[in-house]
Amino acid sequence: MMKEIDCRGLACPAPVLQTKEALERGHPSVIKVVVDNEASKQNVARFMTSQNLEVSIQEVGSEFHIIGTVGGRPAPESIVDEKPEGAHRKIMVMVTNNCMGHGDDELGKKLMVSFLKTLKEMGEELWRLVFVNNGVKLTIQGSNVLPIIQEHEKAGIHILVCGTCLTHFNLLDQKKVGETTNMLDIVTAMQLADKVITI
Amino acid sequence: MCGMTFPTNENVLVGLDRADDAGVYRVTDDIALIQTVDFFTPIVDDPYWFGQIAAANALSDVYAMGGVPKTAMNLVAFPLKDMDISILRQIIQGGLDKMTEAGVVLVGGHSVEDKELKYGLSVTGFIHPDRILTKKNLRAGDRLILTKPLGTGIVNTAIKGGLASDDIIERVTHLMATLNRKAAEVMSHYPVHACTDITGFGLLGHMAEMVSDTPFGIRLTSKAIPILPEAIEYAGMGLVPAGAYKNREFRECMVDFVPSVDRLVQDILFDPQTSGGLLIGVDPDRAEDLVTELKDQGAEDAAVIGEVTTEPRERIVVD
Repeated sequence: MMKEIDCRGLACPAPVLQTKEALERGHPSVIKVVVDNEASKQNVARFMTSQNLEVSIQEVGSEFHIIGTVGGRPAPESIVDEKPEGAHRKIMVMVTNNCMGHGDDELGKKLMVSFLKTLKEMGEELWRLVFVNNGVKLTIQGSNVLPIIQEHEKAGIHILVCGTCLTHFNLLDQKKVGETTNMLDIVTAMQLADKVITI
Repeated sequence: MCGMTFPTNENVLVGLDRADDAGVYRVTDDIALIQTVDFFTPIVDDPYWFGQIAAANALSDVYAMGGVPKTAMNLVAFPLKDMDISILRQIIQGGLDKMTEAGVVLVGGHSVEDKELKYGLSVTGFIHPDRILTKKNLRAGDRLILTKPLGTGIVNTAIKGGLASDDIIERVTHLMATLNRKAAEVMSHYPVHACTDITGFGLLGHMAEMVSDTPFGIRLTSKAIPILPEAIEYAGMGLVPAGAYKNREFRECMVDFVPSVDRLVQDILFDPQTSGGLLIGVDPDRAEDLVTELKDQGAEDAAVIGEVTTEPRERIVVD
């Protein structure tokens, strides 16, 4: 199901808003947005990336065709609904602190090491790891669990780190793993996940 | 306005030949006139606050020159057929309240009918001819102080898109309506060498103006720069105004980012600001004291964000 929208002649943020609306309304598997200026091109591409679409850009004369594909590959023309046969469940784990549980922080930190290591037992169902609030401190230089998270990333698990939180702690440039993200991404991920586990 | 010639005379102390925040004309040996004009289309929905922001923005150029604004004239374009006149009253009331706060008297104005609403001021201020603060008088070692956080352009784009939260709308509205008056008063007691206000060209655009055609460069510490956290979030969603991309395209050639500077932060450094803060170049020995006093006087986000260097010349290095 391909959706095409014409955003020529529109100024920012209109192209991003129209893209957002088209994605929300029709749930197309492929979306093509036509714009005629550099700023709109970059903003729409950035928005699609933030929505986890795979983005490709074609320059056609003075126009740009930005094509976003859900799930990173074009879906067949037929309507794809729900999960295809044999697909895994998608589990999202949201880490809101740098220690696990309340009571003793030293113990909590040890538990967090163990928790992040053991997460791989979820196998292919582990889909996304999201770090917010104090949790973002696990993703920075010097964090004792950094190698574990990097290993998850290597294994193809999508790591998202809250940008507002990094900015708040003044750690934006110390983040060593994952993508800097925003609340819209996090909320979208929650919606897409089959199960959300918050630690 | 390339290719056009503009006659001048010896009393023009700051004119078109070296475009600054405002024009300055010497009246006597002790008094010079500062003149500036600025107006724009609404950036917030509330007409009263729009009036305040437009006035604060227009008055800012006088403060950035080190002067004191004294009189102002309203500039109004209003769609009489489509909009209730009470909206205009609220806008003008907002502007008037801001002028009163600044000790400025409204002495006149002009309005035209237009399809699109616009409001702003033409402002006149005074300054001693020896105390004019231009953009281009930085000295090696000067510390650069910014008095308001960056990101208003991106947040305004999110407001336009209906994606901004109420909290940030309120924060950014108050921020834009805040006069640079206190900051200007405070800096007048310090060895300040150069000053400008951050507006449409973004922080890096205005910094580039400060060092181009001079023997100096700037080293900027991105971590020290006050930034609205929501601006990072909205930039990540592609809510970056076209102006930010234009600013980047125009000045990129003068800027070196070390690779660890996040792309979203880079965008914010090019983000066009409305009624932004002052960027002050001050003697290094007094920089910390100036920041402390600015904070005491209400510029809570004021911070030293960089310093003036001799190498590399006419470049801004952001780490």
